[in-house]
Amino acid sequence: MSENTNQFQGTREYVASEELMASVNIAMALQKPLLIKGEPGTGKTMLAEAVARALDKRLIIWNIKSTTKAQDGLYVYDTIQRLYDGQFGVEGVDDIARYIKLGKLGEAFDSEEQVVLLIDEIDKADLEFPNDLLWELDQMEFYINETKRTVKAKHRPIVIITSNAEKELPDAFLRRCIFHYIDFPSKELMEEIVRVHFPDVEEHLLKNAMEVFYNIRSIRDIRKKPSTSELIDWVNALQIGGISADRIRGALPFIGVVVKKDEDLELVRHETNL
Amino acid sequence: MFIKFFDTLRAKGLRVTLGEWLTLQEALDKGLCDSSLTQFYYVARMILVKSETDFDKFDMAFEECFKAASKETEVGAQMLRWLDKSEMMELAHEEARNHLNQMEDIHVDKEQVEETFKQRLKDQNEEHNGGSFWIGTMGKTSFGNMGGNVGGVRVGGKTGYQSAFAVVGARKYRDFRDDRVLDNRQFQLAFRRLRQFSSRLDIPETELDIDGTVDKTCNNGGCLQIVMKKPRKNAVKLLLLMDSGGTMIPFSSLLNDLFQAVHKSNHYKDVKTYYFHNCIYSKLYKTPECENGDWVDTEWMFRNVGSDYKVIIVGDAAMAPEELYSASGNYRGPNGGLSGYEWLQLVKRKYKKVVWLNPKMAPGHAPWREAETAVKQLFPMFKLTVDGLNRAMVTLMANK
Repeated sequence: MSENTNQFQGTREYVASEELMASVNIAMALQKPLLIKGEPGTGKTMLAEAVARALDKRLIIWNIKSTTKAQDGLYVYDTIQRLYDGQFGVEGVDDIARYIKLGKLGEAFDSEEQVVLLIDEIDKADLEFPNDLLWELDQMEFYINETKRTVKAKHRPIVIITSNAEKELPDAFLRRCIFHYIDFPSKELMEEIVRVHFPDVEEHLLKNAMEVFYNIRSIRDIRKKPSTSELIDWVNALQIGGISADRIRGALPFIGVVVKKDEDLELVRHETNL
Repeated sequence: MFIKFFDTLRAKGLRVTLGEWLTLQEALDKGLCDSSLTQFYYVARMILVKSETDFDKFDMAFEECFKAASKETEVGAQMLRWLDKSEMMELAHEEARNHLNQMEDIHVDKEQVEETFKQRLKDQNEEHNGGSFWIGTMGKTSFGNMGGNVGGVRVGGKTGYQSAFAVVGARKYRDFRDDRVLDNRQFQLAFRRLRQFSSRLDIPETELDIDGTVDKTCNNGGCLQIVMKKPRKNAVKLLLLMDSGGTMIPFSSLLNDLFQAVHKSNHYKDVKTYYFHNCIYSKLYKTPECENGDWVDTEWMFRNVGSDYKVIIVGDAAMAPEELYSASGNYRGPNGGLSGYEWLQLVKRKYKKVVWLNPKMAPGHAPWREAETAVKQLFPMFKLTVDGLNRAMVTLMANK
């Protein structure tokens, strides 16, 4: 089967758990969008980059903001530009297609080769947003009213959707997705992840930093639990700062990289002094 | 295929649809499960379950249906207790790492491991730790937990290595269930849900106002002049009434978080918050301390806070009968000539949309909680959980 060449096995820069890799491959086999949820900083967005790199495909990122509308992803008809152009008699005003600009989703459909489409943080948008994309993601096509043209995906893009669970996604949308929840990495996996980023990190430093990190995460009342990316930043800062491993536990150097809230900072100092 | 599994899932409250079920069959058809139960577990979960809050229900349904497939390897409670040695975790890690280095090239035959595991389960009748034969903690056999062996059967406890190919009865997603009372982390969620009925009036003018543009352009002698307008949005106003009585003290941090969540969201056109002690009487307090004098008249509120406000009352509705029904039942302040119940009726009459959130509501019908039952008849009452809050919001927004 040619499928073996088209399987995601993780990359050298991205350490994925077995389950995560399986979910990517299953989503591809079933041709359904893959919905990724998980704590902030567990590498949801990085996944799409890694998949694109591993399969050697172009990555198209559609960043969702609170004001993003589903229509923006398909196409935008620039009425106002056309009105102004008509005013000054610019050539080609009668050609509506000139004023149709494809959005990220449209771009992915229109691409000559298969691409990886990342719809990042879909929960940031309006509540109805995912519902407006049902048909498009199902059929991989949409209709441009103004030019009476149907944009149909030449190659079904691999769609990866991330969500921070800030909003509940509608059932009808969820039904069409493959779902994976990225667990917070275990200590072993975490060590592996850090080592991928800093291959020659000092053994002792890493051990102490991880210990402090997991201690902080286990404090009960902490407001914002530090995440993987924060640990990576911290290890980086410790290395650059040339902090000796023994000082990490006592002095908590650069702790601001890991703990971002005043209340948490106090809590951490309090707990670690005990 | 596996119709019983489908039924069990639905019986556990997972809303699995036929479409998802067919997708799973398709996955099986394509051989995505590798004929392995574990693989089937993950594939089924990622297709059928769409929220980590439902993972636990799924786990339970899965266990119920496929117990037979792993019947022989069922783990007794006694054995789980033997294995519960979390304090050895640190030590085990050290040891396991050393051990792992030597073992990198060894391939483990899963079947053989499982076979031996069953045999050992049958024979073992006491606790073993650190050995290399029986099931126990920190050992080098392929079974038990926190051991250094690659590719063994893990029995409960924390995952030492991801390679353990069977996780028996861990229920690790129990904490994600959304029928638990709200905790700190989940308030972020609740806060977002309250946005369901929000309106954003600070939105930019993004719509082309066609009428306006035609008018302006005509006035401008045919020279194009574009007029933009704001998209139409409805505006929601919120009135929050919170019980700050003695019986609510256990929930004070919960309420505080809810309050913060509502107030930080400046999506509402207006939010007003007042406090009461046990029940609403003629005065409403401005602060949760409920100090005498620092209040407004409830009637003043009726006059000044319009009936278009949506009202959320938070309280445990655990008044003593006289607190609710006597015209002198308020032992902290004035009653205003009416009993608490009558005041509540006034609230109901004034405001069209009222919900009551109760952090310790009894499940189902509870006639022994007299006050709670009475209040329930006045206002729709919901338990203060993620699920309850969500349903309360739906009720507030319902078009009736």
